Amino acid sequence: MSILEYNGGCVVAMAGKNCVAIASDKRLGVQLSTIAMDCNRVFPMTDSLYLGLTGLHTDVTTLHNLFNFKLNLYAMREGRTIKPTTFASLVSSTLYEKRFGPYFAEPVIAGLQADGTPFLCAMDLLGAMAVADDFVVSGTCAESLFGTCETFFRKDMNPDELFETLGQSLMAALDRDCISGWGVDVHIITKEGVTTKSLKARMD
Amino acid sequence: MASAPSLDFLSTSFSLSRTDDARLTPLQQGTSSAIALPMVDQPANFLRDAFAGASEKDRLHFAHGTTTLAFVFQGGIIAAVDSRASMGQYVGSGTVKKIIEINPYLLGTMAGGAADCSFWERDLGRRCRLYQLRNKQRISVAAASKLLANTVYGYKGMGLSMGTMIMGWDVSGPHLHYVDSEGTRLKGHKFSVGSGSTYAYGVLDAGYSWDMGVEEAITLARRSIYHATHRDAASGGVINVYHVKEGGWVKISSDDMMIIHEQVKAEKKLVDDATAAALGTTAEAGEGAAAGSPPDPTSAQDTGDASAASRGNVPPPASAT
Repeated sequence: MSILEYNGGCVVAMAGKNCVAIASDKRLGVQLSTIAMDCNRVFPMTDSLYLGLTGLHTDVTTLHNLFNFKLNLYAMREGRTIKPTTFASLVSSTLYEKRFGPYFAEPVIAGLQADGTPFLCAMDLLGAMAVADDFVVSGTCAESLFGTCETFFRKDMNPDELFETLGQSLMAALDRDCISGWGVDVHIITKEGVTTKSLKARMD
Repeated sequence: MASAPSLDFLSTSFSLSRTDDARLTPLQQGTSSAIALPMVDQPANFLRDAFAGASEKDRLHFAHGTTTLAFVFQGGIIAAVDSRASMGQYVGSGTVKKIIEINPYLLGTMAGGAADCSFWERDLGRRCRLYQLRNKQRISVAAASKLLANTVYGYKGMGLSMGTMIMGWDVSGPHLHYVDSEGTRLKGHKFSVGSGSTYAYGVLDAGYSWDMGVEEAITLARRSIYHATHRDAASGGVINVYHVKEGGWVKISSDDMMIIHEQVKAEKKLVDDATAAALGTTAEAGEGAAAGSPPDPTSAQDTGDASAASRGNVPPPASAT
């Protein structure tokens, strides 16, 4: 099992019409043994910007703390919240700084830009950015997620449709991955605010 | 020239079929026309070497993850298995039949390589039938398990992966044997095999007793597999339970583990509520107060009577009337 599969877990984000949603599973394991079923790997960075991190959980936690720290300094210096595109560049640079001894984490960034349009991007563990206008995936069942998202995605979904589509895409992929699952959390981000819902998933 | 009819045929072993094992030496039995070996110097190393240089992704991944268990008790033998076939981290299937019905009175379980288990246990069924035809009586469980053990021992070191339990009820009663591809053959009362076996053992050992009733035994087996599917990533799907009785085996149930999950959750809630009520506190405060003396989960599950559990295990509140 590779280092990125040691703890398991996956994150997926999808764009709708002036809304974006990000979802993850809740499993934390040590190889095949499940340790926790309530672990959080999607973090709110600002009111309309979420960061999801998959991979080695210690690096997920470290990066979360590191980016919180960097964003606090940014807010103090700039006097405003960071833009999603700027934050993505920040994440990319932070990861590439460790090019020859990387953080074993692969981030997914989902947010709303100032004009309300969704912003989605995913990165590998070295910071290579891939911006998408439909969906981005990361984690141990990324290939399965690509398949389910590609099948279920439609353009310009409203928040309710987006929640349904994203939830079903993730649940279908989770059932084919041993080391992800045991619960699902979905965050739907709109101009009005963020709604978080938990889905009942298979607990095996 | 006329010669006396040759009586050679009396001394040669007569071959009934090309794969008649009685004719072959033990070593040849493994190399009969049924299974072809690679035509290399060291066939035992061929498969391992072929994938030696490959990356983890391209290597041959056996469907390995599983939880199976079987135990003997006063009412016969209960066998319970999960149904997930995992290839590395990918779920190959969630509906695998891991209990193999060798014949109406013999069962075998599957753990390890799915192909290895299903092929060799089907082969065992063939040889048990041959025994029955030649000897006009059913083969004993001990002999059947020994046939399997000796067969796979012939392939020892070549990469077979099989951990199975052979069980049945013959003239001398119910018997359970564990047989694996290393050549181990153990007789016993209680076994669990697979990546989730440690979790199953925990629950099974806590609740097992020889004098259990049949329903109690079935519930215990089902719960043990459920807890293994819940914690082990490589086990999951549907829980199949079989009961081996004097006349043969019977399939008891095939339940999705999520159904058992809901049952266990509901029972835990009953116990938690009863504890909170007995302590005269709210649920949240009750959990903290009851931390010192939690109700016994095994008895709660077996009896399903939460009030009995709380009466038996929780000290009465100070202001009891």
